[in-house]
Amino acid sequence: MNKVFGTIKKTQPYLGFLILGGILSLAPALVANTQWFLFAWLTIFAGFVVYSIASLGMNILMGYGGLASLGTAGFMGLGAYLTMVLTVDLGLSFFPVLILTILATTVLGILVGLISLRVEGFFLAIATLVIAEMLRQVFQQMPLLGGHAGRTMPAFPTISIFGIAEWTLNRNQTYIMLVIFLVIAMFVTQLLFKSATGRALSAMRGSESAAAAMGISIFRGRLLAFALASGFAGAAGSLFMFFMPFTNPNHWNLVLSLFIFAVVVIGGVRSVAGTVLGAFIVFAVPQLFIARLPIIGDISGMDFVFTGVLIIVVVLFYPAGLVYMPISIKNGITKLINKRKKGGETA
Amino acid sequence: MSIFVQILFNSLEAGGIYALATLGVILIFRTSSAFNYAQGVISMFCAFIAANFLHSTGMNVWVATIFGLFSALLVGIFIDRVVISRTINLHSVSKQIITLGLVIVFLGLAPMFFGVDPMTYPRFAHGAVTVAGANITHGAIINISIGIMVVAILFFVIQKTKWGLAVRATASNGLVARLMGIPTPVVTMGAWAIAAALGTLAAVMRAPDTMVNLVMMDSIQITALLACVLGGLGTFHGPVIAAYLISLGRALVAFYISPTWSEAIIYILILLVLMFAPNGIFGKKVLKKV
Amino acid sequence: MSILLSVENLSIAFGGLKAVDDLTFEMNHGEIYGIIGPNGAGKTTAFNCITQFYKPNAGKILFDSKKNGVMDLVGLKPHQVIGHGLVRTFQNVELISSLSVIDNLLVGAHIAFKSTLPEQIFRLPRARREEKQLRERAMEVLEMLDLTHIAHMPATMQPYGYQKKLELGRTLMMSPKLIILDEPAAGLNEVETEGLINIVQSVAKDLNCGILLIEHDMNFVSKLCNRICAISFGKRLAIGTPDEIKAHPDVREAYLGKSDEGGDVDG
Repeated sequence: MNKVFGTIKKTQPYLGFLILGGILSLAPALVANTQWFLFAWLTIFAGFVVYSIASLGMNILMGYGGLASLGTAGFMGLGAYLTMVLTVDLGLSFFPVLILTILATTVLGILVGLISLRVEGFFLAIATLVIAEMLRQVFQQMPLLGGHAGRTMPAFPTISIFGIAEWTLNRNQTYIMLVIFLVIAMFVTQLLFKSATGRALSAMRGSESAAAAMGISIFRGRLLAFALASGFAGAAGSLFMFFMPFTNPNHWNLVLSLFIFAVVVIGGVRSVAGTVLGAFIVFAVPQLFIARLPIIGDISGMDFVFTGVLIIVVVLFYPAGLVYMPISIKNGITKLINKRKKGGETA
Repeated sequence: MSIFVQILFNSLEAGGIYALATLGVILIFRTSSAFNYAQGVISMFCAFIAANFLHSTGMNVWVATIFGLFSALLVGIFIDRVVISRTINLHSVSKQIITLGLVIVFLGLAPMFFGVDPMTYPRFAHGAVTVAGANITHGAIINISIGIMVVAILFFVIQKTKWGLAVRATASNGLVARLMGIPTPVVTMGAWAIAAALGTLAAVMRAPDTMVNLVMMDSIQITALLACVLGGLGTFHGPVIAAYLISLGRALVAFYISPTWSEAIIYILILLVLMFAPNGIFGKKVLKKV
Repeated sequence: MSILLSVENLSIAFGGLKAVDDLTFEMNHGEIYGIIGPNGAGKTTAFNCITQFYKPNAGKILFDSKKNGVMDLVGLKPHQVIGHGLVRTFQNVELISSLSVIDNLLVGAHIAFKSTLPEQIFRLPRARREEKQLRERAMEVLEMLDLTHIAHMPATMQPYGYQKKLELGRTLMMSPKLIILDEPAAGLNEVETEGLINIVQSVAKDLNCGILLIEHDMNFVSKLCNRICAISFGKRLAIGTPDEIKAHPDVREAYLGKSDEGGDVDG
């Protein structure tokens, strides 16, 4: 991947993250003041923001753990359902709910990892697929969770500060809060990548033998990556619930897990910006653009075919992900110019 | 007694369906060194083809099934030529990612061509017999026989014929096989075609119970993947036996413990078994080279 | 001189094939010790057993650990070995392609990081201190290897000679007592090989660090090693000084087949 860089630049992408957060926060204002930014688009954007967070977790797992999970939807679903139960049935406010949800999904992630990571790396994919199916069964069967029909909770979170002050956010404020959490998730992911632990995870993915020889426990590293991915998915599910605020078992199916997987492949492993780009392509482009195209937009299944073909094309022709495209185009042009120059000189 | 016979026959029927799907997955794993996550959706797609053929022509179920299998062969060849043959030099993880891409593609293609409504698919035969007090339908007997026969024929081909030798050679070392003059691209293409057909056969056997729909193969696909891991990836027979065992286990759990949670319980059991036998119950230990 | 590593009756078999068969040798602190043998003699397998990448079927690997004094390494996990002061390189240089040169060295210092993940993510004082100290240490190592100019370049884009040096440098991050080098000179040209000899000698002398190495190049081994153990088909043929080994009839036969002609043994 770094073949495209002459030297590894000391990139400081943090400012970029803040700018992105700022741009995304403009959406509610656009809804209010323009004709073209539709009210319904805010929901699409909220979905894109939430799925970006889950995808960042997936990127840690894939890009650094070298593993894939096919159960992200299950963990997100667990986050959503827990959020509903904790909010509605236990009456907790936003922050306690979010924290408990993240803790619970992380713990479940660690348990699944403890079982499946002892086997082979590829087994995690299958184990997570199985866990997600089991979770979906739980969602369907437990009366508390509303069965097949699912369950709704009061819209938008109530933030309480030690029970002293309390206020409930509206739709726009909730959306902006989601964006804030996305920016936090981007910061955490990037800081993790640059830390000693991030280096250890890179080493593990680059060469297991070298990593082991340097004292890095492969098992612990994988478990950590998977725990983080589960926690991110749980957080995403929880935030989803606070915005949408409805959940049913069928929403958290294998297709969603695959789409989140697609985000990372298409956007670019090991790139925070790539993940967000990928999430936009997978979760926003089909609804915002493709669905509005004449003729093509009316064909059902078009968004799936678009995403699926994009995965295959990217893996075949652009395995590093689309985020690296500008750099390689630039390199290609430079090469071409140099060639021309050389050709000119010899002629 | 009659209950046990009933369970046995039920699990033989379901086991045959799992075994066919499993054989498809392991065939591709061995020849392309990647799990084919897309087999389930490819079979679902071809089952839609068969069902549409059946409903639009009014032909009988056998003709429709053969038509479906034939289309599966073509779909398998098409996928191999267009996508898989370009992945020979890719890492197995990348190949698996491509099959995940295929899952999404077929989940989009199916409603595009066939709409979103489930379609009925008849059984191969109607009527039933009573064996040792258990009620066994003719359809079930046919399914059981198809399962066992197809598996037996494939094992015979793999073990005793020169095509089978080519498959086994490709499976054990693709590069060496190529150097020895075995046309591994043709073997891989054949494997994809056969695997698609095996999956489709499993799909049309399952279809009378579930109808032909988008998610009909989900649990079969998961079971097939688990059977491969449980049976060990080094052999062809291990996963097939595991597929029958899983089916039996599921039927027993459903009857004696809980029908609602049988699937979840059996999944957990498999995960636990794999903790103690990480290479599968029939697998050999593989030493990683450093 | 006291004993640093003592391999006793080490055996491992794959299927029916005995890759290492009853191998015994010992080396001292600060000694440069070579293992030679024809291809497939079981040298790398022996290394993998010593570093616990493979679990030997029989035998002891007694090592004068940094932490525990003399102990048997058998039964440790591969990643636990480095903590006792034993670190290795690989036949095919195993650098991390996504990391820069200096980050690759820092991977070698992984077990020196005591800060927790939250401390690292939020850049709390302890994590920052550690990072700073170890970066300085890495720069020292790069200076010693004469590689400071590439510190921030991608590691695997460097010329092969640099990569080999870098992998050696990575083993120095934790001040080990024993470094195991798997064919350190393979693929290097003469100048690079000379440079490597100097580095290895100074590491052994200045850090009082034992070096155990596998090499095909007999000249390289002769120049460097105090003692050599020659093996063939997993069995020990002879132990001795380079000159003794060169003159040993069994070694000559294993290397050159039944050839009676003289000349250097440099297979």
